[in-house]
Amino acid sequence: MIVLGIETSTPQTSVALGTETEILGSTSLTGTARQDAVVPAIEHLLRWTGLELSAVGGVAVGLGPGLFTGLRVGVEAGKSLAQVLGVPIVGIPSLDALAFGVRHTSRMVGAVIDARRGEVFYAFYRTVHGGVVREGDYQVAPPDHLAADLEARGEDVLLAGNGAILYRRELEGTGGRLEFASAVSAHPQAGSLVELAIPRMHREEFDRLFDVVPLYLRKSDAEIAWDQRRRGASA
Amino acid sequence: MRIELGAPTVEDTRAIGAALADLLRAGDAVALTGELGAGKTTFVQGVAVGLGFAGTVVSPTFTLVREYRGRLTVHHVDVYRLDRVQDVLDLGFEEMTDDGVLLVEWGDAVEGLLPSEHLSVELTVPGHGERRRLVLTAVGPSWATRWERLERSLEPWGSAA
Repeated sequence: MIVLGIETSTPQTSVALGTETEILGSTSLTGTARQDAVVPAIEHLLRWTGLELSAVGGVAVGLGPGLFTGLRVGVEAGKSLAQVLGVPIVGIPSLDALAFGVRHTSRMVGAVIDARRGEVFYAFYRTVHGGVVREGDYQVAPPDHLAADLEARGEDVLLAGNGAILYRRELEGTGGRLEFASAVSAHPQAGSLVELAIPRMHREEFDRLFDVVPLYLRKSDAEIAWDQRRRGASA
Repeated sequence: MRIELGAPTVEDTRAIGAALADLLRAGDAVALTGELGAGKTTFVQGVAVGLGFAGTVVSPTFTLVREYRGRLTVHHVDVYRLDRVQDVLDLGFEEMTDDGVLLVEWGDAVEGLLPSEHLSVELTVPGHGERRRLVLTAVGPSWATRWERLERSLEPWGSAA
């Protein structure tokens, strides 16, 4: 089974094609507004791997949490392709994919993505045979909140992601011994999405197309105070 | 910092937008306030043209966000159809100011969600026999160093404030 992975939750746009046994091709490009690259990157990968689009048997998309613009483009591209091709889709939280990419460690893993506005998205993972298991909820908070979390855990942790790199100085020295993953693990990889999606596809744990929506952690139930719209409408 | 201007014609509104465009920098946010028909989209047309964009500028009432690429990328947003704060958050304002400028129609309704430093542009629909007016107010210090130049370039439309 050939699965297409699309990951756009950070300034890196990453696309991959893979099977149960290997990643056939992958491409990543970092920079703002690179989500324009999603569709050309897929075309490129298909051409270079000599595959037809119709060979794709499933789609895996990274759901974030992450950057709004990228997520909208990536998730919509994945959903459109799944619908047009009539193939199953699986949505995977991008923090899970990030942690999965650095799972070959005995430490606990902290996946940390820059959320802008002085905050990070993060979650902690225990490594298990063949993967990672999340411990606790996905969080959005300032880095000192994460530092307090690390302090409370008091364990040796491997921190991965662009948020960990950005706030390294604030995080260092807190909790147990910290290790920081290098730049190559700064962003969730589409290849990890493919690897995480394939077992789910085999178990037929697909997502319904309309349930595949970006994971937004900054929630607000408030309504906009629309005095002037009413005034304008009644005028 | 406040500038009050008279904009008797649509061309004036457009020209004021173009004059502002010369002073815009990446990261700027502009909140546009004014009732339906006050000239918010016309103002954005002026800004886009001033930044060298040659295409069409229409109100993004239904598309929510439109993008124009000139000297800077303009992210033109209209929140008129949105009812929930979450819908506005989902647009991701902070990312739009990464690589360009953000112009938000009905910006005053969502002021708390805008970057804390921004420029407010208030357009008023004139009553019978009145002149169309336009008031620019800087929120935060980022406009301080540019304010004098802005005042000078907008002098042709200056009214006795």
